Amino acid sequence: MLERSHVQSSGFANLGPEGARTGFRVRFRQPNYRGTRVSLMEGIDVVVDGEPFPAEQNRYLIAGREYGYAELDGLTELRWPVGTAIDILVEKPGGLEPGVHLVETVLRYRHPYFPPRFRPIPVQDSRHATIIF
Amino acid sequence: MSGSFQYGVSLYSYTDDIGTVMGLEEAFYHAADTGSTGIEILGEAHVEHYPEPNAAWLDRWFALGEQYKLQPTNFASWVDTHIQRDRNLTAEEGAAQLALDLNLASKLGFKFLRPKFGVIDDELTPHPIWEGAVERVLDLATKLDVIIIPEIHAPTPIRHPVVEGYVDFIQRTGTKHFGLLIDTGIFQDRPLPYWQHETPEMRKEAMSFLDGINVPVEQLAVVIEYTPFIQAKFHHIDEQLHDHNIPWERVVPALKSLGYTGYLSSEYEGVRDPWVAIEQVRRHHALIRKLEREYDQAAVQPEMDNHHA
Repeated sequence: MLERSHVQSSGFANLGPEGARTGFRVRFRQPNYRGTRVSLMEGIDVVVDGEPFPAEQNRYLIAGREYGYAELDGLTELRWPVGTAIDILVEKPGGLEPGVHLVETVLRYRHPYFPPRFRPIPVQDSRHATIIF
Repeated sequence: MSGSFQYGVSLYSYTDDIGTVMGLEEAFYHAADTGSTGIEILGEAHVEHYPEPNAAWLDRWFALGEQYKLQPTNFASWVDTHIQRDRNLTAEEGAAQLALDLNLASKLGFKFLRPKFGVIDDELTPHPIWEGAVERVLDLATKLDVIIIPEIHAPTPIRHPVVEGYVDFIQRTGTKHFGLLIDTGIFQDRPLPYWQHETPEMRKEAMSFLDGINVPVEQLAVVIEYTPFIQAKFHHIDEQLHDHNIPWERVVPALKSLGYTGYLSSEYEGVRDPWVAIEQVRRHHALIRKLEREYDQAAVQPEMDNHHA
């Protein structure tokens, strides 16, 4: 089972070989009470220790396949179920320093049954998480 | 004496617990221990590999129902009209979604399907494709004997064009397989606490319905003949079995006096700290069962008085 927070402890890691890190990944559970088609999810902003990584520049690893931000809108038949996580892949040459970081996230969810002015609605979370190496 | 309510639990109550500290079996266990006979689920939350559960999951579903003696009641689904940023579903696509969920709900043993249509305004007017989509699947619903019941949910009150539109549809088609689900949140008469990021300005402008739209319970009389299922929404019940938002002491007698004998399916929507929902659902059942008992006893008493006179 997953942790209560949207950002998961395990899975938070640097990407790329040691000494030549290309970025990091944030493992992120489905925060909604139901699973949805991925097309309803309009990306996830990440902020680490105050440094912003906007949704538009991140990539998304969903059910074993990587997608760019612009591709999300077309994923009407791919579903992100409750109780599962996706990885947000963030580009940052050198990666993150090993240690504890403050990770803030904002997912923009478009719920068709919400009044139009609340579409999308920002879903926020924030926690400390640890990069081991 | 009139008939009795049937008692159930919606697994929506255990949102955030399910998948983090609770599995499907624990959810059945907690629902069954309230004395419920019915279980309500959300298709796209509680059916593994929705919309195509595998044989192993189906076997488990039926085994859990048997073990915990819980009948499937209502299957909640969505018709996500605003499916892409710049594209809405057509009526044909909406009908395909409804057909998929009707078939799955029927396969799992459900009697009701609650589709949540996308909306076009602040009053939750459903996207206009709803009517064409539903009409296209009425024969299927009849064949499967599953009743389609969109919900009447705050901020939409009972006396409203949305409800009139649904009732007109029932009268025009003469169908027995379309009705209303009443969410008891429409009777809320005291405010909810602010959401995590809500400000007083937001509450005042756009979210005022969270202060409660306070529909008079007497208005249930207008729609009860079209209402085969009630989602018993609540938010917080304290140690004295006092509900802080929903006036059950008025809702229960109103339903009894109208002869309602369908389900009250508890739907907890409150603080999401781990395991809080389990206790809240139990308090809700203790409260509504107590009020039903009191109503029945008060109804019996005059009869006895007459008998001895």
